[in-house]
Amino acid sequence: MAVNEDALAYHHPLYDLMLNVPGLAVGLAPVDRLLTWGLKNSLWVFPMATSCCGIEYMAASASRVDIDRMGTIPRASPRQADVMLVAGTITVKMAPRVKRLWDQMPEPKWCIAMGSCAISGDFYRNLYSVVPGIDTFLPVDVYVPGCPPNPEAVMHGLLRLQEKVEAARAGHPVNAEPPPELFGAISPSLPRLTDQNRPPELSEEQVQASLTVVPEGDPGEVPVDLTPPSIPGALPDGVSTELAPLLKDRFGVAEIPADAPPLVPAERHVELAATLKALGYRQLVFVAASHHPAKKDGEAEAFEVAYALRTVGAGSKVASWRVRVPATESVPTLTPTFAGADWQEREQFDLVGVRFSGHPDLRRVMLPENWEGHPLRRDYPADHAAAPWR
Amino acid sequence: MTLFAWLSSILVAVIVLTVTAFGLWWERKLAGRMQSRLGPTIVGPIGLFQPIADLLKLVQKEPIIPQRADRALFWLAPPLTTLFALLVAALVPFGPKLAPANIDVGVPLIIALGGLALIPVWMAGWASHNKYALLGAMRAVAQSVSYGVPLVLTALVPVILAGSMNLNSIVAWQHRHHWLVVWPVFLGLPAFILFILAMLAEANRIPFDIPEAESELVAGVSTEYTGMHFGFIYLAEYVHTLVGSAVASTLFLGGWDGPFGPSVLWMVLKTCLLFSVLYWLRWSLVRLRADQLMALAWKWLVPAGLALVLLAAVWTQTPWGR
Amino acid sequence: MEATPAWRKLPYRRLELYEPEGDLMTLQLGPQHPSTHGVLRIKLHLDGERIVKAVPFPGYLHRAVEKLCEQLTYVQIAPIVDKNDYVAPMTSEQAIILAIEKLLKVEVPRRARWLRSALAELQRVASHLLWLGTMTLDLGGALGGGGSVFVYTMRERELVLDLFEGLTGSRFHYNTHTVGGNRHDVPAGWAKDMHAALDLIEKRIPEYETLTQNNRLFVERMRGIGVLEPELALELGVTGPNLRASGVDHDLRRDAPFHAYDEVATNVITAKAGDCLARTQVRVAEMKESVRLARAFIDGLPEGPLVSGKPIKLPGQFKVNSGQVYAALESARGELGTFLVAGAGTSPYRLKIRPPSYHAISALPYLLPGHTVSDTVAILGSLDPIMGEVDR
Ligand code: SF4
Repeated sequence: MAVNEDALAYHHPLYDLMLNVPGLAVGLAPVDRLLTWGLKNSLWVFPMATSCCGIEYMAASASRVDIDRMGTIPRASPRQADVMLVAGTITVKMAPRVKRLWDQMPEPKWCIAMGSCAISGDFYRNLYSVVPGIDTFLPVDVYVPGCPPNPEAVMHGLLRLQEKVEAARAGHPVNAEPPPELFGAISPSLPRLTDQNRPPELSEEQVQASLTVVPEGDPGEVPVDLTPPSIPGALPDGVSTELAPLLKDRFGVAEIPADAPPLVPAERHVELAATLKALGYRQLVFVAASHHPAKKDGEAEAFEVAYALRTVGAGSKVASWRVRVPATESVPTLTPTFAGADWQEREQFDLVGVRFSGHPDLRRVMLPENWEGHPLRRDYPADHAAAPWR
Repeated sequence: MTLFAWLSSILVAVIVLTVTAFGLWWERKLAGRMQSRLGPTIVGPIGLFQPIADLLKLVQKEPIIPQRADRALFWLAPPLTTLFALLVAALVPFGPKLAPANIDVGVPLIIALGGLALIPVWMAGWASHNKYALLGAMRAVAQSVSYGVPLVLTALVPVILAGSMNLNSIVAWQHRHHWLVVWPVFLGLPAFILFILAMLAEANRIPFDIPEAESELVAGVSTEYTGMHFGFIYLAEYVHTLVGSAVASTLFLGGWDGPFGPSVLWMVLKTCLLFSVLYWLRWSLVRLRADQLMALAWKWLVPAGLALVLLAAVWTQTPWGR
Repeated sequence: MEATPAWRKLPYRRLELYEPEGDLMTLQLGPQHPSTHGVLRIKLHLDGERIVKAVPFPGYLHRAVEKLCEQLTYVQIAPIVDKNDYVAPMTSEQAIILAIEKLLKVEVPRRARWLRSALAELQRVASHLLWLGTMTLDLGGALGGGGSVFVYTMRERELVLDLFEGLTGSRFHYNTHTVGGNRHDVPAGWAKDMHAALDLIEKRIPEYETLTQNNRLFVERMRGIGVLEPELALELGVTGPNLRASGVDHDLRRDAPFHAYDEVATNVITAKAGDCLARTQVRVAEMKESVRLARAFIDGLPEGPLVSGKPIKLPGQFKVNSGQVYAALESARGELGTFLVAGAGTSPYRLKIRPPSYHAISALPYLLPGHTVSDTVAILGSLDPIMGEVDR
């Protein structure tokens, strides 16, 4: 038998000919060997390089390792590639795209999982936004472990794949590569493809529906040791002393704490930003919000948003302040004064859940549009599962 | 057609395809060496069988037709690209007698056929139902139309000087007066350079490869093609460049004319040399932007081409040019 | 109030105000696209090939680092944030360590500070090298001249990575900084290797200049493209080479010194034009300056301990005062800062990383309209965003 029929996942006129014309198949055994040789020596890679491992993949194609030596070239279009090399963390937002690109690749195709992120999600694996291993939705042929694997390891992975291609075509039973053992607690709600009792195929609806699934968090329970800090004292680090009178006299700041930015009334803070801008604090440094759940002693749930500005040039100084609002209220946006506040506040809205009044474009930025909940809230479980990817 | 014509056309097709296959390997080796890498080394001796492995692989890939694609056009376009590129080769004389089709309107026919190669590209881009492919095809059309003009103009220079549109006569003329790039140098050399530029643009090579700019358009026209379909487009690119080099060496470098030995050898040698130079360019330049490309064609190449044609006409009236 | 600057009036959000000649076409660039530097999606509204409006969608690499840091103890954080800016992990790590040290009021020995500065400079060289390679890759394509420059720069980057490997045992993701010092001391002969590598790099930088900013084709593609106005850059919080290319003379190494930068003078490189070419020139010049600084820091490396006091071994040993600190350093991409809200426990209450790349790509909606699709890759590439840092 020249062609191993079981190994064919797809239909091709060439194979049809070899299978269906009696006698031809046997006579063509050398031809099949030749075809296999062609397949294995021309593995074009579609680099699904999302993060750090992608950089090492690039190093593998550069002069020191040069995977071009074995005929491996990168193709930008999945349609012309044979191997999908997943190098980097795959997030819940990215996974449907990866799956789609995989489906666009023509058979015969293979998949290499490069790096611990692609294999198991690495130390991000228990986090809400990361897929714990691409073998939950892609059939992985070769695992290349490492964080990141060296370029030489990429070469080794490709050589392993060549062996596998050859063995499969020769009709030897090739066991799926056993996925590496995982340490520590990981419990993907979705079994890996290699598991026997995995549901056969996930429909598009399931995938979509699952992305919106949010388990009930329990906002009532707050760890005791997470007391939100607020420390009285002198000037915070980085704020120049000449601002103290300004803050006290014009903006009604009662006290300036020693090791935290001063609290400014929410309704005055836009004015403060404009004043500081006129004083030379022209660069927006950051906007950082934090969530403070309701406490046992009756303190209501609140958000704190810290803003920081900077002077430019020699002796650069930072001025920062905080705004504290109850969870039900919103913070006036800084966007009209600082164009950059637009994206910064969007991010904080997305992750922490603070609302900014007057913001021109308060959409999610990091998470998918249909995500529910705000992950950086204290009551949001870090390992919140977004099925079916975990 | 005589038996000889048949034989020579087969011979030329074989030469072109072998040289192309070799060219694929050669380019990767050359690129590797230029980049302080090795290029293919593992498949066959010094990686020589790499193109064969690629071909065998491409033949086996699953042919996918996107659901919303125009099936007929999608299927037809890639083989046509290779076919049109090969057709041109039939017109190039590889020796005084070795020209599959030695016709008197060789030069215009070559240019016409070269222009024809645009149609399958547009077909492919349109049929793919993909925005990247469509953008690539649109760029290809705009580019070919613009660069067709300087291509014709510069090709006219040897025609005017030799007083013939027959490629064999042009080579014979160059055999009599030294080669065109050598004499008259002020006419032949600029015309040669302009021709090469225009030819590069017609063949979509860097710095004029905007139709398939893979950093912007993924893979341009060929984005949706798999397996052998892609193989055809891939091959056509190389055949196009190779045949372009052959035409350029015929028109400007004396074609099959050489001091000794068989004429085919000289033709192949010149073509390969030019081919390598083109790849040298490719691996050291970055690409231009679409509008800059148009500006280059219409603001520089076309006026310069016109000036050269005029100059050539004047030159034929002088005692040296007769 | 001064007159409204032009960029405030840009119709980048008001598509309905634009009158196209034909239909507008939307093109989704990414998230998996050869030149989006990782996974960024940009939705382009095109009128022909001209961009009318551009909406970037980051978040495809959102790895929840900030949430993860809230779960971990202070010691455990450093190796995690390594992975944020995966092109310059060294500075990524230093940024977090700086904040923790500031919070704990730990004094860092002088030798560690000098070593950190040297490593930061080496990392800057490596990062800019990679950037130059990928930038030309975007312009010239993987199968062209860009590919050549890319391979050359990767070749030199390997030299730096070898140095780091010799020092820390790892090509990247070093985890070499601890609270209060450095973990790995300079091995014997390392300084000599470093000088050899830097000499080679210094010798080759002019070659890249020939291939890029002195190359007519390259210049034509870059000049006048994606002009970032200084006032806009400041408001957006764009920092680093991108800001300096717009003519703002601002560099934290000189203006708010960290590590040992107060002891060795830094030349700040600026350019006026603010376009892609200027950003290239600034980065290439910065590479030369970094080579000089790295040499200076290693040559002048003072003797003494590398870690202050008792080395901290167990996570539980931390006694953290509450407080909110912000510490920043100048990474290869700009101001990389950490805003740390400490609780009473052993892990941060809230940790906000201020990534220069996120601010840089927030300039895209302003920069892209008016240019063509081809320019998109030039502009995006010249901003040097690292998606790991953008999305965290
Ligand atoms: S395995 Fe490590 S190096 Fe690779 S992507 Fe994950 S974190 Fe980065």
